[in-house]
Amino acid sequence: MAKKAKSASGAGAETRGVDLEQVKHLLAFMEENGLEEFEYEKRGVHIRLKKASVAAATPVPVAEVAHAGAHHAAPVAPAPPASREPAKEAREEALHVVKSPIVGTFYARPSPEAEPFITVGGRVEVGQVLCIIEAMKLMNEIESDVAGEVVQAFVENGHPVEYGQPLFGIRPRGKK
Amino acid sequence: MFKKILIANRGEIALRVLSACKELGIRTVAVYSEADSHALHVRFADEAICIGPPRSSDSYLNIPQVISAAEIADVDAIHPGYGFLSENANFAEVCEASHITFIGPSPDVIRMMGEKDRARAEMAAAGLPVIPGSDGIVPDETTAEKVANEIGFPLIIKAAEGGGGRGMRVVRTKKELLPSFQTARAESEQAFGSPNVYMEKLIEHPRHIEFQVLGDKHGNIMHLGERECTLQRRHQKVLEESPSTVLDAATRDCMGRQIVDALRKVGYSSAGTVELLQDTDGKLYFIEMNTRIQVEHPVTEMVARVDLVKSQIRVAAGEKLDDVVGPVRFEGHAIECRINAENPETFRPSPGRITAFRVPGGPGVRVDTAAYADGVIPPYYDSLVAKLVTHGRDRAEAIVRMEGALDGFIIEGIHTTIPLHKRILADPDFRAGNFDTHFLERLTATAGK
Repeated sequence: MAKKAKSASGAGAETRGVDLEQVKHLLAFMEENGLEEFEYEKRGVHIRLKKASVAAATPVPVAEVAHAGAHHAAPVAPAPPASREPAKEAREEALHVVKSPIVGTFYARPSPEAEPFITVGGRVEVGQVLCIIEAMKLMNEIESDVAGEVVQAFVENGHPVEYGQPLFGIRPRGKK
Repeated sequence: MFKKILIANRGEIALRVLSACKELGIRTVAVYSEADSHALHVRFADEAICIGPPRSSDSYLNIPQVISAAEIADVDAIHPGYGFLSENANFAEVCEASHITFIGPSPDVIRMMGEKDRARAEMAAAGLPVIPGSDGIVPDETTAEKVANEIGFPLIIKAAEGGGGRGMRVVRTKKELLPSFQTARAESEQAFGSPNVYMEKLIEHPRHIEFQVLGDKHGNIMHLGERECTLQRRHQKVLEESPSTVLDAATRDCMGRQIVDALRKVGYSSAGTVELLQDTDGKLYFIEMNTRIQVEHPVTEMVARVDLVKSQIRVAAGEKLDDVVGPVRFEGHAIECRINAENPETFRPSPGRITAFRVPGGPGVRVDTAAYADGVIPPYYDSLVAKLVTHGRDRAEAIVRMEGALDGFIIEGIHTTIPLHKRILADPDFRAGNFDTHFLERLTATAGK
């Protein structure tokens, strides 16, 4: 099932950039090699294929295609809420992914001229403010629930986020 | 006209609103909980924003999340559908404060109609007949006797803070009145923390008749006929039809005019439904009003040939009623069966994955659904799977079309109430138009036979 690229300015028909033959090959490849999940990214096209597990209530197989903003011909401002896929990479490395608990606009700094709350590579403590998500004119501080090193930042400053959207990947202290 | 609308709902009504928006050239924004990430309204909308975990209170009922989504998507208006936030006056106010048009009546009107006591009083003052009863709380025995003299027997004593069928006592004779009054007050105090009771005439074999109305923002209101919604189980409608078999043209016109006049007085706009009970003597009484589009709106759409959802959007955008809906001519008869994911005999909910899904078609058959093969009916929301609506030249044709359509509707993997609907349609009393609100109870009491 294709996950839509969402754009506030509303580009019309999107070029999917996915070759059905390509997807069929990938599915066959997965079958032959007994794979449960397969992820592929190249030139702004990101394909993730995942077999539904026995207990899950999702259609089989699940194909999710996420587009980088570059695919839109029309000017895009601001960029659409991003895909949830980066979190998968983070999970592979046992990173703790901080997800947005609310819908709103993500700000990396307390104010436009100030320094960002945190930087990639920096250390955070439990309870430390990672970012602000503005919703209905209220600035909500998002705090870290783990201590460790910030390994990934998934959202750009000023971009909208939805519930559950990955914000940061943190390598918890004590883990390699 | 709006450029972009956010649909604050899910399931079949979200799809319904989506298609109305598409026809009007309006871009759509869907919101969804994590349980609905594969839902059709998410797939078909131009944009989709996840607003929370599965529980309604954390997602579809979460006002800050919905408004926030509306803001980041930069929408002009929100359509609340039915249920959820559609009759939440606070939500309508927050929309206004955020400069987003709420597609529905004003917050004041929503609030007024939401307080059932107040709605009754205002509609009575505006000229609608209401069920004879006490003027609010009955504080003592003297008043109880006075009211009983006025309204007669049988009557019902109801707890003012009660609900769900609790705290009610039927009184059939004068002798029982005072003892019942005292007991009712004691029970009410015990159960609800307040001894306050009120009294109403008891309508024993009521039929439930409701009128569809539509108003614009310029003070114009019209009605679009009635729907008969008497077939209910535990106060949930199961089957609806229009026109009612017990309403003649004169009564329809008269009641319709009274309703329009009353609603004009309170400044009603957008779509709405005025609910009435009909007594065995044919008298109609106002009970409450729903200030939103209703589940069973397709029934009216089929006989009046009006797109109610598009009309809602257009009047919300400021268009005049005359331009939106011309003169209405009612044609034929329509019936709707609500097909739920429930065991048709025990009525236990049956959420799960649908393994086969084949929808009937042909002349006079309409299906409103968000279900699909391999799709999932989640356990967190209502159990409606599909609305099956048929239209015919007359009631007989609508019935026979419905029977064929029910036979041709294949849903596997979950239990549905399709077998129940087949039994209803086959029932001689139903076919004769002869039923009251206890009909379904009686039918399902003989289940399995």
